[in-house]
This record gives sequence, C-alpha cells and structure tokens, in this order.
Amino acid sequence: MSKPRVAIFDFACCEGCQLQIVNLEEEILNLIDLVDVVEWREAMSEQSHEYDIAIIEGSITRPEDAQKLEVIRSRAKILIALGACATIGGVNKIKNNFDLNEVRECVYGKDAQMPHLNTEVTKAVDEVVEVDFKIHGCPIEGSEFAQIIRSLLVGKTPFVPDYPVCVECKAKETICRYEYNEICLGPISRAGCGAPCPTAGWRCFGCRGTVDDPNVEAAQEVMEKYDLTVDDLKQKMVLFNTK
Amino acid sequence: MSVSTVTKEQFKSFVAALVDSDQNVVGVQAKDDKFAFGELTDANALRLDYDVTILPPKKYMLPQREALMNFEVAGAAESVQPDEKMVLLGVHPYDMIAINQMDELFSQGEYDTHYMNRRNNITIIACDVVTDSKNVFAASMNSATCDTGYDILLTAIGDAYVVDAATDKGQALVDMMSGANEATDADLKKREAVHEKNIAALNKHELECKPSFLPKLLEKAYDHPVWEERARLCYSCGSCNQVCPTCYCFDVQDEVNWDLKTGTRCRAWDGCLLTNFATVAGDHNFRKKRADRFRHRLYRKGKYVPGKIDGQIACVGCGRCVTACTAKIANPVEVYNTILETTELR
Repeated sequence: MSKPRVAIFDFACCEGCQLQIVNLEEEILNLIDLVDVVEWREAMSEQSHEYDIAIIEGSITRPEDAQKLEVIRSRAKILIALGACATIGGVNKIKNNFDLNEVRECVYGKDAQMPHLNTEVTKAVDEVVEVDFKIHGCPIEGSEFAQIIRSLLVGKTPFVPDYPVCVECKAKETICRYEYNEICLGPISRAGCGAPCPTAGWRCFGCRGTVDDPNVEAAQEVMEKYDLTVDDLKQKMVLFNTK
Repeated sequence: MSVSTVTKEQFKSFVAALVDSDQNVVGVQAKDDKFAFGELTDANALRLDYDVTILPPKKYMLPQREALMNFEVAGAAESVQPDEKMVLLGVHPYDMIAINQMDELFSQGEYDTHYMNRRNNITIIACDVVTDSKNVFAASMNSATCDTGYDILLTAIGDAYVVDAATDKGQALVDMMSGANEATDADLKKREAVHEKNIAALNKHELECKPSFLPKLLEKAYDHPVWEERARLCYSCGSCNQVCPTCYCFDVQDEVNWDLKTGTRCRAWDGCLLTNFATVAGDHNFRKKRADRFRHRLYRKGKYVPGKIDGQIACVGCGRCVTACTAKIANPVEVYNTILETTELR
C-alpha cells in the first residue's frame, strides 16, 4: 500500500501550530516514515495538487482564501483543521467585533485599500468547507497532534475530549480560580491541553473553543455567586470565542 | 499489635528515617493554601494538621491515568502490572472508609488486579482529623472516625501521637519508632476525647436522617423536581466526580505507537456528570440530560453502590464536591435534605 500523501497549508495565522509539528523533532522522522509530505511551505519548497490528507492552519479572512480552501477541499479525501485559528477562528475573530473599514485603516493605514488586503469577516475553516477532524489549541499540543495522526493512519477514530478543562485541572490538583472569585473559562472550554494555563496560575483562555454543549443559561446565576457578572465573563471570551 | 504513644518530635524522626530509607513515602503536604498527597522527600513538609486534600488518596490505587496492557494490533497482549511498594501517610478516617469500600468493589466479581496490586502494596498510616475543613460532613455519614483498613492509626494528643498498630505491617513500622511507649489510660482517654470532638465538629452540613435511610428515601425520589432545579446550573464538568473518594468510574482508551503495529491500552478517570459518560456505540447517549446525570451521582452514592456493599453509603462526607463545584449545586446533604423535607414517607 502506498503511503498517504499529506499537504499542509496555512491561511491567516502566526504559523505557530506548524512550528509545533516541526518541534516534534525526532518524532517527526516517524511521521515522515508513514506519510509522503507533498506540500508544506514552512518546511519544504515542493508543491503538489495530489494529496489524500490536507491539514489547514489559519482562519479564512479573504474571498480568495475561501476559494483556495474550496479547491483544497475538492482535492483532499480528509481535511483536518489545525489549531485555534482553523478550528474556531481564534484571535483573528476579534476583528469581527468592529467595523471592517476601521479595522483595515487601523492595521494597514495608507495601504488599507490595496486589493490583497481586502479582509472580510474572519471565519473558521468549517464555516467555509466541511472539516473531518479538528486538532484544537493555541498552539496545538504536539503529542495530541501525533496521537490523532497515528489514530487516523491505523484507521481508528481519534480521541478528542468533549469535556471541560476542569477535568484536567482536577486531575492535576490545580486550585480552581473560582475559589479566589476569579473568572476562568475552564467550565465551558474544551479540554485536551492538560490545563497548562490554570496550572501556571492563569485563567483558562478558552483557546480550544467551548465544549459541544456548554451551559450558557447557567452563566448569570453562577457568576452572581462569585460577585461577578455575565459581562465580565463575555469580556474574557472575546479573545478566542468571538462569533 | 500495640497501642503506643510517641512525641511528635520522635514521630518526625521516624518519618525522616522512613524518607531516607529506600521506601517510597507519600504524605500530605501544603500546595499553596491547600493540601495534597505527594511524594515526601522531607519529613518537615508532612502536614498531619491538614484539613482536607484537593484529591483523595484514591489516586494511588486508581491513578488518573494508567497503562493496563501493551498489545500488538490484532495480536497478542501483555498485562502491565504495577508492583511499587508505598507508605501512605496521613489518610483521614473518611478517606480510609472510602478506600475500604473501593477495596470491596474492586475485589468483588471481576477481581481488578491493577487496583488490588497497587492497594496491597500500600501501607497506610491513617490519622484522625486535627483541623476541620470548611465543608466536611463526615459525622453525618458516620465517617468522622474509622476502625479498620489502616495499618497504623495516629491520633494527635497535644505534643504526642497515640499510635495504634492494626496489622503486622503497621507493627513493624511502630517497632522502628524509637521512644514509643505503651499508651497510658490517660492517653487513651485523650484519644477518646479527640474522637468525640470530631464526631461533633466534622458536621458542617447536617444530614437530617441516618445515612442508612438514604436507599429507602431514594426509592421515592426518582421523579423529584430537585434534580432539574439543581442541574440547570450544572456545567457537566465532572469536578464532583473527580474529587470524590468513592467515584471510581474509568474510561478505557487504546493508543497506537508510531510503528502502527503495537500500542498501549490505558484507563483514565471518567465521571458520570460528563456529557458523554453514557454515550455508547452508534453515538446513543442514554443520559443526555444534565438532570439525569446529576441524579445518577446522588443515586450511586445513596442507593446503587450501597446495594453492592451491604448497604454502606458511598458518600463519606469529605465535602470535596461541595468545594469543587463551580455552580455550588453538588452538596449531597442539601439534595438529600430537600428530598426528605418534601417527600411523604410512610
């Protein structure tokens, strides 16, 4: 059996999630043994239109990017969204809170009207094309990426948690931020990261998006129990969870 | 077997010697402004005056994640069996009672060699509670004190400990304690006073019935409005499960290695409050509603598990779920009392 051909593409992002793949170091050699990487701008110069698995990093912000993504989708048997920008739109969606003309002026100044800077409302990859698998996080966890890829190669549905970050905080005996009356997005955010932010004394920033069934109705009453408000909560959600 | 008394200084020397030996010693230590069981490398770090640990000591018998076996894909498999010996220092009575229940559950029916091997390799030095935690209700659950399961039970009386060796393993450790003298009647009276104090004090939430009545009470509560009233605020985060000393459900996952020919089967803690706990083949979830999952936990503690272990109630009143629940809905005493107050009992 020939090896599956993999192509990695990036759109609006910092390319940090691709870097996490490169950071697998020795493990990347195992990966390369199992697949043919036919296109990967960050790591090689070859290009190809023939691939089985397309890995998409970044969010979609321009009409030409959406068109390019649709072509990739039509060529790939499996399409994987890689990292928060691709899976949920990520920090790029912050701009969706503002007037797009103002955003262009603010970011690009006198070049704002240049045609290649015609950015529109930011979309996650699955708002443009069908996505088969999501590898969450800002950035992704290298070990989780490896586990998901191995699962796919052996024909097994990859395990992706649909439980909140609280599960991982409890397992590590991280003290809950709510015990100090501080907002944390952990109770509504998808786990899989191992809760590094709360463990380091921060709140959960929600970079994996919400769980499939977050309890939105509970927010007001629960926040009141900590002398906090839903607005406090929403403010913390702007960074990664803007619609 | 003996009941002796040692000064706290002498006990500390004993712990220091234990730490310096080749034994794996685990004890309660401060973690920021809380406490946690962890590997002990300095006798001075042991905090037997702790109130409650973030996680119960079950993590040493049933780790958060453990390998069960290594396998070849579609081929042979070899069980991975833990064999590390450990001295576990500072188990509170309510946690001891929970461990006793887990021992029964994991050894009945299909004997769980992974759990039982770990358990049988642990020597437990339990200790009576010195400081009551903010949500403890062990007294309501008859678990403010305990009398079985440990190898040694320590009770702090002023500057000394009463050291009760209950097994040969425990006695062997007591024999290592220099300065241990037979406990006097006065010492034993002081120990009795500690027990009486704890039976009164470890009761921050008071159950309005005997725990043994809970299975009967729950027979009438399946459709009670309390489940929906509370669960509407539930985040399904499973924190109540994770911190519970008697929650033992786990999920089993296979991970394949880079050769795609071999792999490891692992088990990791699961929790019945998590959305997909009851999702089975075909993506069918038979406890899809938050209220159904919320009810299930309270039924496990008060009815289902007691049915497996001669009526012992599977809530020991440690109060960890009360503290861990972000929505502040998990308190079993509040739930059971609500049902008691609103249900016609004949």
